[in-house]
Amino acid sequence: MKRNFSPERLQLLLAGFAVVAAVLVLRLFQMQILEKAAYESAANRNRTEMVYQTAPRGIIYDRNGIPLATNEPVFSLIYLPPSREAHQKELNRLAEELSQILRQDPKTILEKLRQARQSREALRIAENLSIPVMFRLSELKPFYPGIDLVLEARRYYPFGPFASHLIGYMGKITPRQWARLKNRNYRMDSRIGQLGLESIFEKQLRGTDGAVKIEVDAQGRIQKILKRLPWKDGRNIHLTIDAIVQRAADEGLRHTATQRGAVIAVDPSNGDILAFAAAPSFDPNALLGADPFSVDYSTFVPSSVPEFDRAISGLYAPGSTFKTIVSVAGINEGKLNPAQIIFCPGYFRLGRRTFLCWDHRGHGNVDFLTAFAQSCDVYFYKMGLLIGADLIEKYSKLFHLGQKTGIALKGEEAGNLFGPETSMKRGKPWIGGDTLNLAIGQGRLLVTPLQMAVVTAALANHGTLWRPQYLSSIDSKDGGEILRENPHQLGFVRVSNKTWNLLDEAMSLVVASGTARGAYIKGIQVWGKTGTAQNSSGKDHAWFIAFAGKPGQAPSIAVSVLVENGGHGASAAVPIARQVIAADFRVGKKSQYQWPKFSPKKIGSSQKGETL
Amino acid sequence: MIGVPRSPVRKSRLDGVFLGSVLSLLILGSLAVFSATHPLPYYHQALERHFSAMLFGLFIFTVAANFAYEVYEDQFWTVYGLVISCLVAVLIVGTVHKGHRSWIQLGFFALQPSEFARVGMILILAAIFDKRALKMEYLSTIFVSLAAIIPIVALIVKQPDFSMTLTLFPIFFTMLFCAGAGWEYLSGLGLFSVTAALMPFLYLFLGSYYPHPGAGSSLYLFMEVFQSKLFEFIFILVLAAIFGAAYYVNFLMRWRLRASLFLAFWLILTSGVLLGIAVSHKLKGYQKSRFTAYINPHSDIHGAAYHVHQSQIAIGSGGFIGKGLFSGTQSQLGFLPERHTDFIYSVIGEEMGFVGAVIVILLYLGMIWRITEIGVNARDRYGYLVCCGIAAMFAFDFILNVGMCLGLFPVAGIPLPLISYGGSSLMASLWSLGIVANVGRRKYALL
Repeated sequence: MKRNFSPERLQLLLAGFAVVAAVLVLRLFQMQILEKAAYESAANRNRTEMVYQTAPRGIIYDRNGIPLATNEPVFSLIYLPPSREAHQKELNRLAEELSQILRQDPKTILEKLRQARQSREALRIAENLSIPVMFRLSELKPFYPGIDLVLEARRYYPFGPFASHLIGYMGKITPRQWARLKNRNYRMDSRIGQLGLESIFEKQLRGTDGAVKIEVDAQGRIQKILKRLPWKDGRNIHLTIDAIVQRAADEGLRHTATQRGAVIAVDPSNGDILAFAAAPSFDPNALLGADPFSVDYSTFVPSSVPEFDRAISGLYAPGSTFKTIVSVAGINEGKLNPAQIIFCPGYFRLGRRTFLCWDHRGHGNVDFLTAFAQSCDVYFYKMGLLIGADLIEKYSKLFHLGQKTGIALKGEEAGNLFGPETSMKRGKPWIGGDTLNLAIGQGRLLVTPLQMAVVTAALANHGTLWRPQYLSSIDSKDGGEILRENPHQLGFVRVSNKTWNLLDEAMSLVVASGTARGAYIKGIQVWGKTGTAQNSSGKDHAWFIAFAGKPGQAPSIAVSVLVENGGHGASAAVPIARQVIAADFRVGKKSQYQWPKFSPKKIGSSQKGETL
Repeated sequence: MIGVPRSPVRKSRLDGVFLGSVLSLLILGSLAVFSATHPLPYYHQALERHFSAMLFGLFIFTVAANFAYEVYEDQFWTVYGLVISCLVAVLIVGTVHKGHRSWIQLGFFALQPSEFARVGMILILAAIFDKRALKMEYLSTIFVSLAAIIPIVALIVKQPDFSMTLTLFPIFFTMLFCAGAGWEYLSGLGLFSVTAALMPFLYLFLGSYYPHPGAGSSLYLFMEVFQSKLFEFIFILVLAAIFGAAYYVNFLMRWRLRASLFLAFWLILTSGVLLGIAVSHKLKGYQKSRFTAYINPHSDIHGAAYHVHQSQIAIGSGGFIGKGLFSGTQSQLGFLPERHTDFIYSVIGEEMGFVGAVIVILLYLGMIWRITEIGVNARDRYGYLVCCGIAAMFAFDFILNVGMCLGLFPVAGIPLPLISYGGSSLMASLWSLGIVANVGRRKYALL
């Protein structure tokens, strides 16, 4: 048989194939032996996913152990993005379905789904799901892989708008905060304290988030749970606030005509804040889910938002409440003779200008006590001229007006001193009329309600200015208590006992027979001074400062009340102060002060069931 | 074969290494398909199909191994007619799956005629080259063989099945080479294929690295010109001018090179470039993105590059002995796409590790070695040529598929013969191997 072909070429090709096969083996060796570790970790990254669970924050208690801010267990909807390109239609359909169940705009949901796909991380689509919504979502789960429910802790404020400016609120982390904090285990969907003590004690209150390491398939379906890292609760904080007094203050402000103002109650013996209320306030529960606070700064008026804290940032003329300081100055310096009688015709003439008394009919002949009790302006005009603006300014400085109290809250204002020295510094001449305005707490004199509370406490304890503080103690990590800071003395007004006794008598007369008869409480000794601050914008601001104690004992509460545009101090501010003082002494029926039983639910971090 | 008495009546035995490697590949493949289809919802149905196709394939193998292969040469026109009518039929009654009209629904499974047509094409080319044994050095042989396969190629392109088309040319080229075509024509053809193949690459390369070149830049101008119809025209003219000038220089310098040489070069380059441009414009979006993903793997890790990326992770994470059958996270959790068809080799790499992957390579090497040995020892030129074609078919499918799984080549939808899930591929492969077996069995036969 003649073979009419030469097979060398085929054998050449076989050799070529053998070479290629050898190259393939080398490549396999490189990938599977040399670079195995890198590929292995890539495979593990593929199949494992971390789902984080927000840990319960530390609970904020009042001085009697009533929880003011706690946590509740909630279910959140998370989306585990599939590892491969999902069809746009699929995402659209999912967004559509979810928007119907969650009652959200499909576009925002779609945006979140896309974000999750891009970052390849589990993302929260919705939080705080109701039971019916949860059931409907569970029904969706088989049709849309990647949808899962996770149990977590969510901040809960059981009393809604309650000391809201002090406690503050939690909100979504802002992009700027996220950039700063991402190395401290904050995630893009984390909540962070945005105001008040939620913000100031963020580090202490925040717990360590738990995590569930799960195995997922390419569609994002959960295969099994690989590991659970339990969360750690945050540290509890105990406040000096008395919830019952606080409630009286909050409710009092809410029932005013303008619903704007501030009430602060402190313990004159150490500066502990018993109530800290500002209105308008807000419900921090409602802000939990809201997007970062964003405002148009071109037209932004700070006092227009509920977050504006009138207690520390609101500046008002003290009005007649300032007569307390004028009196201290006058009596102590011997310029004011309490027995001297002055005739009040209802007005006072200085040069060509006429200064009116608040009561245009006039008070007739008045001595110091009557003038103080009736808040006669003409008496204080005359006394102001006698004492001199320099001394009044010196005493207002002694009482720390024009200086921050140093309370541990953001946004405190220092206010504005008013007097010849301050005016000179600002290059303004001091004229006689200014002294008259200063004597009745008007003019450019500006104080915050908190400053007035500190002054009131000093009047109550005869001279000690305490820095107001709200923090009683913080639990340490292992459950013990870290002792509170010692009370901090801002200053001491050193005046004669005679001065204090006379002022006490005058202030008790205000309640007994003067402008603040509405503050009388049976069985409790109340001292006070009303104020009506004129202002250029609308109705007068109503002031009332008061302190009270059981008869024969040292005063145990000092209150400062301001009602913005409330009109006459006596009518708008006094009832609130009375309510607050009555609450502090638990006057009246016991049932009135019984607190609704509320015990925070314990949330286990590893509850088993349908959810993670 | 020293010491073996040559006797015309001696019956040769089946080649043990050949049969052994084929059966081992089938067993390994079945294990891999078992594991890869396991997470599928239609798991049982898939396995039923696969194993019935394998049984039927083994039956075809046995028949083909006992069926005198010369009949395919004698019945050249019947084979040709069958191939063409199959391919025409699929265009008329075929069902569309993933955008290709490549399947004919036959009761409980779909047949892919192009798989069989490919084996048919090898038989046809072998017959042509055998008949023109004395004219192998001639250019006409190339044109005749091209003319014979162009209808087949065109019908497969029409489906459109570019991956299958892609595998036809290396087979053609190998057979032409082994049949003894002239070196000058082979190199001319090679130049043509390289220019034609380079054009889409260049086009996509520029497009992926400079998606938005600045207006006015020279690159922008180039892309503009490249994408315009004018380019083809200008290019032909410029090339013609260059070759004309070259010929003129040749004439002046009295090098005495033939004019036809210059003409041929010009023709080859021009037609190569034109074909390349035509293919670039014809490519579908996903095919373009596969090329782009290959050229620039970091371009789109979720899209086109995803397949290769996941395949590499699967193989690399397999390590030396693999994660074990049914335990590969990449394949079982669905990260590996097309795991039971095109990426079955990645499943082997992940679950059976370096050991399994190298065994597959060695079995393939053994099988192709035995096919070439059978071809070398075939009793006639036709048998030799058939073995050449079949060896080339397996070799190129293997290289392209494994190269793709390892990330060495762009993604092309080519299954790994004998291992991938797919009845038509399995049956056509076993048919072709049956033919090889017959060539081997009858190397001494008279009839």
